[in-house]
Amino acid sequence: MAGIKLRLDRYKLLEIFAPVAGFLASIVVLLIIVIVVGESPGEALTAIYKFSLSSSAKVATILSVSIPLFFAGIAVAFAFQSGVFNIGAEGQYYFGGLIGAMAGIYLHLPAFIHIPVVILFSMLGGALWALIPAILKVTKNVHEVITTIMFNSIALALVNYLVNGPLSGLGQGKSLEPQTAKIQSTALFGKLNGFFRLLGWNIPDYVYLDYSLIVAVITGFIVWFVLFRMRYGFEIRAIGTSLDVSRYAGMKVKQLQLAAFIISGALSGLIGLQEIFAIRGYYTYGIASGLGFDGIAIALIGKNSPLGVVFAALLFAFLKQAGYGLQFYTSVPNSVIYVITGLMILFIVVINEVVAAYIRTLRKKEAV
Amino acid sequence: MSETLLEMRKITKRFPGVLANDEISFDLLKGEVHALVGENGAGKTTLMKILYGLYSPDSGSIHIKGEKISIKNPKEAINCGIGMVHQHFMLVPPFTVLENIIIGEETQRFGILNEEKPAKKIRDLMERNGLIVDMYAKVEDIPVGIQQRVEILKILYRGAEILVFDEPTAVLTPQEAEELFKTFRQMTAQGKGIIFISHKLDEVLEIADRITVIRKGRVVKTLEGKEASKSLIAELMVGKPVLLEVERPDVSPGRVILEVRNLDLKDYRKVAVLNDVSFSVHAGEIYGIAGVEGNGQTELVAVIAEAAPMEHGDILLDGKSVANWDVRRRREAGISHIPEDRHRYGLLLPFSLAENLTLGMHHRKPFVNRFQIINRNKIQEHARRVISIFDIRTPSELTPALALSGGNQQKVIVARELSAEPKLLLAAQPTRGVDIGATEFIHNQLMEAKKDGRAILLVSADLDEVMSLSDRIGVMYKGRIIKEFAREETTKEEIGFYMMGEKEHGRN
Repeated sequence: MAGIKLRLDRYKLLEIFAPVAGFLASIVVLLIIVIVVGESPGEALTAIYKFSLSSSAKVATILSVSIPLFFAGIAVAFAFQSGVFNIGAEGQYYFGGLIGAMAGIYLHLPAFIHIPVVILFSMLGGALWALIPAILKVTKNVHEVITTIMFNSIALALVNYLVNGPLSGLGQGKSLEPQTAKIQSTALFGKLNGFFRLLGWNIPDYVYLDYSLIVAVITGFIVWFVLFRMRYGFEIRAIGTSLDVSRYAGMKVKQLQLAAFIISGALSGLIGLQEIFAIRGYYTYGIASGLGFDGIAIALIGKNSPLGVVFAALLFAFLKQAGYGLQFYTSVPNSVIYVITGLMILFIVVINEVVAAYIRTLRKKEAV
Repeated sequence: MSETLLEMRKITKRFPGVLANDEISFDLLKGEVHALVGENGAGKTTLMKILYGLYSPDSGSIHIKGEKISIKNPKEAINCGIGMVHQHFMLVPPFTVLENIIIGEETQRFGILNEEKPAKKIRDLMERNGLIVDMYAKVEDIPVGIQQRVEILKILYRGAEILVFDEPTAVLTPQEAEELFKTFRQMTAQGKGIIFISHKLDEVLEIADRITVIRKGRVVKTLEGKEASKSLIAELMVGKPVLLEVERPDVSPGRVILEVRNLDLKDYRKVAVLNDVSFSVHAGEIYGIAGVEGNGQTELVAVIAEAAPMEHGDILLDGKSVANWDVRRRREAGISHIPEDRHRYGLLLPFSLAENLTLGMHHRKPFVNRFQIINRNKIQEHARRVISIFDIRTPSELTPALALSGGNQQKVIVARELSAEPKLLLAAQPTRGVDIGATEFIHNQLMEAKKDGRAILLVSADLDEVMSLSDRIGVMYKGRIIKEFAREETTKEEIGFYMMGEKEHGRN
């Protein structure tokens, strides 16, 4: 019996080792690239360190940056778990954010209700934007990759039109950037910096650790609980593993797919919370873009598990900051930084897969 | 004394915790069929993977025509004249037969594929070995039995003299198997040697010149085909005498549990696959469906278990029509199903045994509470109990299903479906690809279920199995049940006639 226990631990160790190895390997490649472009590796590493881990403010920044990335990752991961390839997180958070912002601008409510309401409306908007691709998939078998990509473009165009036209709030603000009217103060997310200071973590005011962090923690826990502790989550993971087996076992495959797709959209709606309700206080066409696609990589690296997504989002935030560091302190060109981030993701994903395959063969060989 | 083609001397291979091959010696003569038999996990597959260069042995040597060689990968094995027909075919479905055969060995001139020369060579191979295939048909369009011929042609094309067949008849109808054996004889007449791996002892006895039995990684004995018998091989394989005949409990059948009335079903091409099928199964009764595969058995089970839409007719469970019910409702009403294609339908491979053992009942109490929260203790408790009752070999109930051997995976499915305590059990090919020990076990479990008063619909391509288990037998031919027998009033030969449709017209 002891031997068996030991072996199981070995699989766990291998699984943890994989992303670490990928990370280290990509650091080596990074240094090689830095040398190739004629910079000193030492300086590059110092630059990265200075911008990511050198002070509690920098670490807090990474945490802050990781919040929308976490939402993006968990949204995509939830769909992945059910076998749905939701490429549309991008469009879903553009639209979800807009609906949430509308609730923040036009509803008059006390803060303790208003904040939950804008969160729910953001989710509702995201879910709504996933609804048509989801229905098309379930009823007409139209592949979601096609529809969600199309819906991304539609969302961008729609939001651009609305913000420039019917919903334009120009004149209220100082900026010339097309934007909506200001969100009411009752719907704005406060910061948790003071709370962290009480705990002895000194975070300067310019870092945004706002209510969206709380939302992220709660969301992560709920998603984990639903997926791994509840019957419907089990069924969602089952259909993601095999539609045939799930059907055979009597699961309502279509309904589950529909639900997982829509929930993924609702989770995507949360991606914009921090930027809209904590940082900007209004909605604009110019909210950070590309997070939906980052979500795909994050879900992949995090192996679709909520805890994995937490680490992957932190890693991504670290990479973003490291990129800024290289930009700021060295002459490594911007494009090379993108190459490096891309390579890191590739390394981690590939090594993850190789190790997973290795574990599978080990297990097969040991089959009783 | 004919020439030795292949000799494997004292092959030893160790995996973590398992001694898969323990000084196995095995040889193959020119022009013989040498059968390799043993239970799942006995080490047959490992030995063949070593021969094919997929594993390297820890010790021991391989000699071909007296010359010592080392095989590091399949490419080298092919160069040494070793060819393998795998259980799961290695073909590219959208490619033509010709393309599949020459793949990797294409002849070309100025970069342009030359198909004429290979076509001639292949035609010659087809004729000499009785392997006629339309060369320009796409592999995805031809039936499994013919696809196997393509596999064989593929290795013959590469000049194989030593041919390894891993359970080749598992995917074949009895007639196709006969054809295959003819090909075997044609190939051995040309001086080729064949290694034949099979669980079906009747076939082994029919075709093999010599039979090597291995158990737990060691050679138990090599027998001459003539001196062997089914019970002797079975005993050598398992290590103790095996009851090839199942002990049948004396149960008098109770009320009608399943009643199928005038079932009609057409496939997507509007071809009738079920045609006015009616029969009933009583509590405590095993109703066996005999028939050559592809005569509607698969569809019949699908209509009853999976709620496949039917054209016309009715299905009654315990007197109530279930025809419009979905799978979940049918399961809840007491239908269990051991699926024919268990790789596809049976298990969630990455999920734990505990989860797999509750699949289909996972949504019911006590496995979830009324808030739909999973009760993991109850699931694991249930799993531990079932694992011990059904003797499933696993390190623990939390092991993922993919870490189990094929025979054990099948046991998991049987265990799960029976532990649901069904009124009706649909057992489709319940022992396909399963070794003797596990087959005996599954048969006994079916008998237990019968004793408990469950109604069992047994569908099997193995006529012996149908004959030895069933109380009544229906013979299916072209989507109809053309004859129904009580088991005592018929013989294997008579059923065989009906299976071939010979007596179809004499019915009325």
